[in-house]
Amino acid sequence: MKLGEKVAVESLEVELKTPTELRLAGTLSTPTAQAEFRRLLQDLHAQIVAAKTPAFAVDVQALRFVNSTAIRAFVDWISRAAHAGYTLAFKTNASVTWHRLSFSVLKSLAPSTVEIVETRATPAGGGSAT
Amino acid sequence: MTRAAQAEQTLKLARKSAALVDAQRFAEDALSYCTPECREAVTLAVCELGENLIKYGSGDELEAGTIGVSVEDDTVRVRATNRVSSEEDALRVRELVSQIESSGGAVRELYRARLQELFEHPELPRAQLGLLRMAFEGGFRLTCSYERSELQIVAERTCAGPP
Repeated sequence: MKLGEKVAVESLEVELKTPTELRLAGTLSTPTAQAEFRRLLQDLHAQIVAAKTPAFAVDVQALRFVNSTAIRAFVDWISRAAHAGYTLAFKTNASVTWHRLSFSVLKSLAPSTVEIVETRATPAGGGSAT
Repeated sequence: MTRAAQAEQTLKLARKSAALVDAQRFAEDALSYCTPECREAVTLAVCELGENLIKYGSGDELEAGTIGVSVEDDTVRVRATNRVSSEEDALRVRELVSQIESSGGAVRELYRARLQELFEHPELPRAQLGLLRMAFEGGFRLTCSYERSELQIVAERTCAGPP
């Protein structure tokens, strides 16, 4: 992915904000979006490994809904990151139920690879407090 | 979308990728008066069940199956009905529902165990996380019946909002 480039996959928005931070927003539910999302993550993993980036952040605060295929994609990414030796810090929103519940379980798969940075943003996307 | 009964809104799901966008909109609209948490849970259930209907149902191209959402007293119910293409799939679903329901409060452990399996075996072809997420994230109680090639899954949870 190119720095600053925003990729829209149906209702999912993907942006490489900095060389070490990806922002995901919107929703992900259709098979078409799922396949494209998985491909984007695979490409990004290759970029991270090539650049020898030791730590990468994923801002999912505005990612309102995903189906199980996206959870599977996160599992696969964590597995690849663990094998490649870089860490993933997920910036989550505690007011979104699936963030609060699923990311803690994802962290338990590879505690030394995954970090959760939880905020509590308002539903309207206004102010936040760590 | 039609109102099949006084309290149930139903969606006949077409067998196409875009149908899941319709399913998501249907879920969000069905309980617009509920709390965000309840709406999130129902959206999750409708989308996960909808995806299963499209992937594994044996209906024709026009209709993969039907999803209904209803509220009775303080309980919201999501019901998915479809004809299945494989008895093996249907029995696997029934077994998983049974495991979830007999796990009591330990559904987080079942969910974690499945994620661990996927973590260790990325070659596994199916995620099979949908029902686990519905129980764990959505707080749904699940029941399942399978008769004459028709599979029905019913998911119920407390609805925090006016009927």
